[in-house]
Amino acid sequence: MTARPVVAPPEPWAFPAPQEHLLPNGVRLLLHDLPGQYVLSLRVVVPSPVAAEPAGQEGIGSMTARLLDEGTSEAGSEEFAERMERIGMVLGAGVSDGGLVVDVDVPQAHLAAAADLVRAALADPVFPEAEVRRILRTRLAEIEQERASSAHRASREFSRTLWEAADRAALPVAGTAATVGALTREDVVAHHARVVGPRGATVVLAGDLAGVPALEVLTGSLGSWTSGTQDAPAPSLAPVPAADRVRLVVVDRPGSVQSEIVVGCPGPDRSLASGWAPHPVLSFLVGGSPGARLDAVLREEKGYTYGMRSVFRPRVAGGMFLASGSVRTEVTAEATGLVVDILDRARDGFTPAELRSGVDFIAKTAPGRYATADAVADESGSLALEGLAPDFTTRNLEAVRALTLEDLDAAYRRTVTGEWTAVVVGDAAAVVPGLSERLGVPVTTVDL
Amino acid sequence: MPLDYPLHRRTLPNGLRVVVSPDHTVPTVTVNIWVGVGSRHEQPGRTGFAHLFEHLMFQGSREVRSGEHFEALMAEGGRLNATTWFDRTNYFETVPKGALELALWLEADRHGHLLDALTQENLDNQRDVVKEEKRQRYDNQPYGFALVDMYAALFPQDHPYHHPTIGSMADLDAATVEDVRTFFTRHYAPDNTVLTLCGDVDPDEGFALVERYFGDLDARAEARRPPHEPLEPLAAPVRVERRDRVPNDRLHVAFRLPADETDDLVAASVALDCLGGLSTSRLVRRLVRREQTAVGVHASAWGLVDGASIGFVVLDVAPGADPQGLESALVEELERLAQEGPTPAELEASLAQTERGWLSALAGQEERADLISRYTLLHDDPGIVNTYLDRVRTVTAQDVIDVTRRWLRPESRAVVAYLVDAPAETEEVA
Repeated sequence: MTARPVVAPPEPWAFPAPQEHLLPNGVRLLLHDLPGQYVLSLRVVVPSPVAAEPAGQEGIGSMTARLLDEGTSEAGSEEFAERMERIGMVLGAGVSDGGLVVDVDVPQAHLAAAADLVRAALADPVFPEAEVRRILRTRLAEIEQERASSAHRASREFSRTLWEAADRAALPVAGTAATVGALTREDVVAHHARVVGPRGATVVLAGDLAGVPALEVLTGSLGSWTSGTQDAPAPSLAPVPAADRVRLVVVDRPGSVQSEIVVGCPGPDRSLASGWAPHPVLSFLVGGSPGARLDAVLREEKGYTYGMRSVFRPRVAGGMFLASGSVRTEVTAEATGLVVDILDRARDGFTPAELRSGVDFIAKTAPGRYATADAVADESGSLALEGLAPDFTTRNLEAVRALTLEDLDAAYRRTVTGEWTAVVVGDAAAVVPGLSERLGVPVTTVDL
Repeated sequence: MPLDYPLHRRTLPNGLRVVVSPDHTVPTVTVNIWVGVGSRHEQPGRTGFAHLFEHLMFQGSREVRSGEHFEALMAEGGRLNATTWFDRTNYFETVPKGALELALWLEADRHGHLLDALTQENLDNQRDVVKEEKRQRYDNQPYGFALVDMYAALFPQDHPYHHPTIGSMADLDAATVEDVRTFFTRHYAPDNTVLTLCGDVDPDEGFALVERYFGDLDARAEARRPPHEPLEPLAAPVRVERRDRVPNDRLHVAFRLPADETDDLVAASVALDCLGGLSTSRLVRRLVRREQTAVGVHASAWGLVDGASIGFVVLDVAPGADPQGLESALVEELERLAQEGPTPAELEASLAQTERGWLSALAGQEERADLISRYTLLHDDPGIVNTYLDRVRTVTAQDVIDVTRRWLRPESRAVVAYLVDAPAETEEVA
């Protein structure tokens, strides 16, 4: 048997820096040239906090986004789809808490045609009545699909319990049956006029740009996108936690053979003054691998679960920390108790070995995690929406490498106070009695 | 644009097939290993073994303690996993160049010497984990058994694709440590394995490293059986109905297709694109956009090697619409496609989307390495990664007509209908 090899340290690496330009209409353009990436990834982000959606119209931003490519003054819905399809282009549009994100992939040779279509979708959608009705109906069906999925249902209930009832973050980004059901074409037209425009927008293009006149092409397409009606985007604010968020809610899903568990609390966003660097490391150490604290017990020791994950999930402003996963019904109370215990006990501190392994994982996986045009465009677009500089990713990795145990412990304790919001989606009759006993907190049960 | 990803091939004396594909754009290397064993090799009463076995490969080997494989690689910046499918089991990690040797050492230890560390305790624990995986992905998921039902409807009881990779929990319960030992000895050996290195490594260096760590493993896999004889399309429709608490009705309409890497399978993929695989497909236009009786339509072709592949269309029935009506529409569109063939625009769209999808799949080292291993293990030709699109480009309208008439006949369909179970109010009243 050959001896265990020694590992050579990795070479220095930086997130691919963009070339920055300003298009004639004021739109910021970031070009990432990535040799060998023949499918180009284009992102257009327009800041517009989802919290600014009119009351009663929650989900209007998502519905508007989904309707952008459903017909323009030049091409009807089917014709538009055909034009995209024939050049191998794929377009998705949606909103995050911070604004509109349009996501396009297209082979290098068809960038110009794709950019024209994106411009038309953003600047010139006509929102045909029939398509509006169809997209709204599709969302209503999607809401029912989400209700039927334990993981989706848990995530929805978690937001509703964690955040103040009147806060937009308490509701799904794409709206509820009540709010989506009440939307009209006029609402969509008005929302598009107010929100979708070049003001504050950033275009990211990543991929192999050798021989591609990217600046010229984008100047002639997205550079001529105008809007006479777009409002100045309001600043994004962190959601307000609910006063009564420290509780356990069981969503009754009769007959479930597993329970979906979510335990969490409010957390930071990536602009945190004390630094974002510790948080991805903490996510990894608590619940990012089969050897992490949660799975070492719940999966590898107990065999209760296929896997529990923990994550710091930043928004443009504010965020959350949560652990989630599913366990078989019979062990729900014990597993939920263990999750809370493990999360609480981590406030006592991490070990030097954990610090080393977590820092190495986050720092050394970066080159591979950002190896494709798609991944670079995603990160670059997110940074733009979050108002972070293009060198944030590289600087953050430097900070990750410099982390001390004190930094890690302090960051965890800043977020984790031991005040947990917990949601369990499962068979209430089977799990509620054990849960109240194991956790010693009152349990509220709600319908699926 | 013809593709020319570099491919260098060598077979070690012990039978291990090695492919090195240098790519110096990122300072990482993917190690991707395909073992020629999947659920298609499982015997009745022993289903789910290939997948359970994949889990045990992370529980330690001669020089590696349980869990160390994940820990050691992740701490060096490795991202790794493994999956099991009908035709094979794969193991893969992407590591910084400096950790390539560690990855090879860890892989060689478990691919050569797993049994030294196999214990009843590990087996029991991972059996529990696999049961939770099944509960999570099948039992507790809306429509969770649609694919399982589809395999059973398409293939006879004794066919390799009749049962899913997750297998039967009763079979897993009955598994003993001895069964696991036998399974390893039969299937895990260099002469039943392909190893691909893709990334920041040169061919000579790559071959030398693989030789260093895998060279002393013994060839000993049992002889592979020949592929199952090709299956004809179903002679008559098959229908499976499940009533369950699902939000809306959903139909999986499936067909046997010819085996992977045949001209007919490529043409069948184009036919399925025309029907439901694109946003402009016939069924999408008709059922989603115009009649609005479906909230979604999807179509896929899965290439498999054991004498048959699988093609299927998923019809997500809009609330209130009649699933029978959707099925009739599908039958009409199949007949129309067989009669008239695809339009030039449909052929163009299918090719353009196939090209983008293929180039996107090859864009990252991980997936590129996986495709190289796939074509080497199953078809003895890694070069297919460079030539596949040329083959798609040769598909004509007449090819699509021919393949639709032969393989996508309405009478050869297997329908799995997941239907909304009406609330049992009468029982509550009683």
